[in-house]
Amino acid sequence: MSGGPRSYRLLHLLPVVAVALLWEGLGAAGIVPENRLPPPSRVLGGLAELISRGLPPGSGLLGHCAASLRRVLGGVGAALAVAIPLGLLLGRSARLRSLAHPFVELTRPIPPLAWVPLAILWFGIGDLSAVFIIFLGAFFPILLNTIAGVLSIERGLVESAVLLGAGRRDLFLKVLAPGATPAIFTGVRIAVGVGWMTLVAAEFTGVKSGYGLGYMIMTARDIQRADQIVAGMLVIGLIGFAIDALIRAAEGRLLRWR
Amino acid sequence: MKKIAVLLSCLALSCAAATGAAAAEKLRLGYLRSDLHHLAAWVAIEKGFFRDEGLDVEVAGIFNAGAEEMSAFASKSLDVGYLGMAPSITGVANRAAAVKAAALANAEGSAIVVKAGSPARSLKDLAGKTIAIPGYASVQDFLFRRALESAGMDAKAVTIIVIKPPEMLAALETGQIEAFIAWEPHATKAVTKGVGRVLLRSSEIWKGHPCCVVAFEEAVVKSRPAVLRSFLKAHARATAFILANADEAVRIGVQYTGMDEATVRAALGNITYRSELERAPILEYASYLTRLGYIKETDPEALLREYIEPSGLIRESRP
Amino acid sequence: MDLVVEGVEKAFAGVANGARRTILGGVSFAAPAGSIVCVLGPSGCGKTTLLRIIAGLEAPDRGRVLVGEREVAGPQREIGYITQEPTLLPWRTVLHNVELGLEIAGLPGGERREIARHHLELVELSGFDDYYPKQISGGMKQKAALARSLAVGPRVLLLDEPFAALDSQTRNSLQEVLLHVQGCTRTTMVFVTHNVDEAVFLGDTVLCMTAHPAQVGRSVAVGVPHPRDRTGPELNALRKELLAFLAEERQKARAAEAVPRLGRGGRRDACTEWG
Repeated sequence: MSGGPRSYRLLHLLPVVAVALLWEGLGAAGIVPENRLPPPSRVLGGLAELISRGLPPGSGLLGHCAASLRRVLGGVGAALAVAIPLGLLLGRSARLRSLAHPFVELTRPIPPLAWVPLAILWFGIGDLSAVFIIFLGAFFPILLNTIAGVLSIERGLVESAVLLGAGRRDLFLKVLAPGATPAIFTGVRIAVGVGWMTLVAAEFTGVKSGYGLGYMIMTARDIQRADQIVAGMLVIGLIGFAIDALIRAAEGRLLRWR
Repeated sequence: MKKIAVLLSCLALSCAAATGAAAAEKLRLGYLRSDLHHLAAWVAIEKGFFRDEGLDVEVAGIFNAGAEEMSAFASKSLDVGYLGMAPSITGVANRAAAVKAAALANAEGSAIVVKAGSPARSLKDLAGKTIAIPGYASVQDFLFRRALESAGMDAKAVTIIVIKPPEMLAALETGQIEAFIAWEPHATKAVTKGVGRVLLRSSEIWKGHPCCVVAFEEAVVKSRPAVLRSFLKAHARATAFILANADEAVRIGVQYTGMDEATVRAALGNITYRSELERAPILEYASYLTRLGYIKETDPEALLREYIEPSGLIRESRP
Repeated sequence: MDLVVEGVEKAFAGVANGARRTILGGVSFAAPAGSIVCVLGPSGCGKTTLLRIIAGLEAPDRGRVLVGEREVAGPQREIGYITQEPTLLPWRTVLHNVELGLEIAGLPGGERREIARHHLELVELSGFDDYYPKQISGGMKQKAALARSLAVGPRVLLLDEPFAALDSQTRNSLQEVLLHVQGCTRTTMVFVTHNVDEAVFLGDTVLCMTAHPAQVGRSVAVGVPHPRDRTGPELNALRKELLAFLAEERQKARAAEAVPRLGRGGRRDACTEWG
């Protein structure tokens, strides 16, 4: 494409700007009432206040972002630590897979948020129950994709490693794990997306430290500032977008061999 | 012959329907779940006071919090609602919904509850602890911060978290919070269950403070003033009824909250049922909410003009 | 004798009708140390099964395999295996692939690299150390696979039609590479192919396999010293002999299949498709 990457990115922004202008216009014309959907100008004003004064007053936006990110990283990290080894194991053994199948298929459809009452009973109100909820949301995509990743590895690759003297440990570390990595990356992207979405709702139920994007939005709701609700949603969307871009970049570097 | 009979009966039915429609004005009502402050609404429904005034009141929503009820107003799903003064003023000031307060529903009737075995004797003993409120910009949030100020404590001296009142009891019991502030009957319930002890009643924080109001959606106020008057009549009648018929009031309270009789009876004792609004306390709410940063009100008088419905039940304060 | 195969039999449940089919009906041969034994036969399951049994990946129903006088019970480093499709790990560079066996053996980094580079030089694949498998051609991949198997110093190397998927120029060049490597390492090789030209060019001995159930039908010693002339008279004579044998076997196979084929109305499994 002539003009290179710079003009391509600008082209990407055009539809977004167009929609924003349309939205502002609809609000100004009174077609969309301001109290139902604040126009971009109000939202940006609300965002400025979230940064300068904070919501609840005194709790700045950066603190909320940091707290939420911490929880998501904790939950997704825990999910990675459990689901990847388990997925590699289940991918390798058909017998274990059929044993695990009923448990996995029964728990998977339960939405993470349905676990909230139990989570609060077990872990109390605080970071741990939020991390647990996010862990549940992130666990299944990573597990299932890891299993699929292992199954997608050509049998010949495994055999050639065995022929070169690979024992169980070498097989897992040198063949199964690297071979499943592309699928695992897909699982991670999905897991982080789900985790980020679940987080906000998980924070609605109670946050002890007083920080968190979901908590902030809930507060905006309580004081009935729709502009700040939307501003908060915007922040959540932007951060989610940024995280996904980071993962894709890492994927590009690590999976150069594809 | 048959055709004429069918035609005549259709005519008769539509006449009946028309007269039926003309007889009762439809109104969509909202109130808070298990909030004994809104007893007048329940009494008016059960005793047929609304019907007597020619009103067909339908319960269009039962909410967990005042802010939720305000959202329902914003989406025009409610015509009239019982909710806290703080969330309704906040909503009007922040342009979330256009409602007008036309009467008081109750005064007082909240309490700060600590764990039953807690050694805390005053608010100062709660420094560094975690306290639960039902929501930001709620009456209880407001009261709690006033109490902290009166005790000379900094707002940061305690950790405030938001929990919905039905879950506060469990949180207190399991020690996740050291205290909560909630509306009746949740405060009394903690006591009757042996889980909590009242540390401070809201009447001790601010004597006679107004709590919940009866608010109307702006469109109703503008286009159906007669309906507003009829509703307020029924509301006043229900309020008087509660004061004169404790047993019956308790029975209705049990029916609508699902709690046991002993709890409801004791809780009722902590609530003052009054139906007239007063300006001064409302001004106080407005300025305090501004101070907390929940609203940006530079002209409190203008806000009051917007908030209070002049044709409502208003007590003129003595000079 | 470096490799001894004694009376190996193997049967599988038939794909079409569940009845057991005997694939290997008692295969026996011996390979002297440092020699190349070519196993010639029509394209099909039998030869691969034989190799897999020798490699220890499968167990025979009857009979046994001895490598260096020890019975083969499972896969081991003493026996290398090259398949038709090179199984290089796609996420490792050429060099790291060749190092794989050495890594598993626990050798330190510097030593590994040296041995790997040496073997890459041997197969004439220097200078592609940091390339990924997807970046090199089929012939280069097979060279890398060869280097990888040889790097761990196996006693016996099994090759299952390794050059069948390559064009004839590349195939010829790789055959020469293999001979060169063999000259240096003196590894005993069992080379399976359906290509007569290849068999006579490479093998010290050519074993002709009969049709199902497979057995060693004829064992031919190629007495021609290297370097061999592909189109020379000695190889031509051998070629003629072997082609005739193969044609004969094909006829026998078709005759044997005729009756059941008529009965079932055309259901076949892959093994009956003669090239």
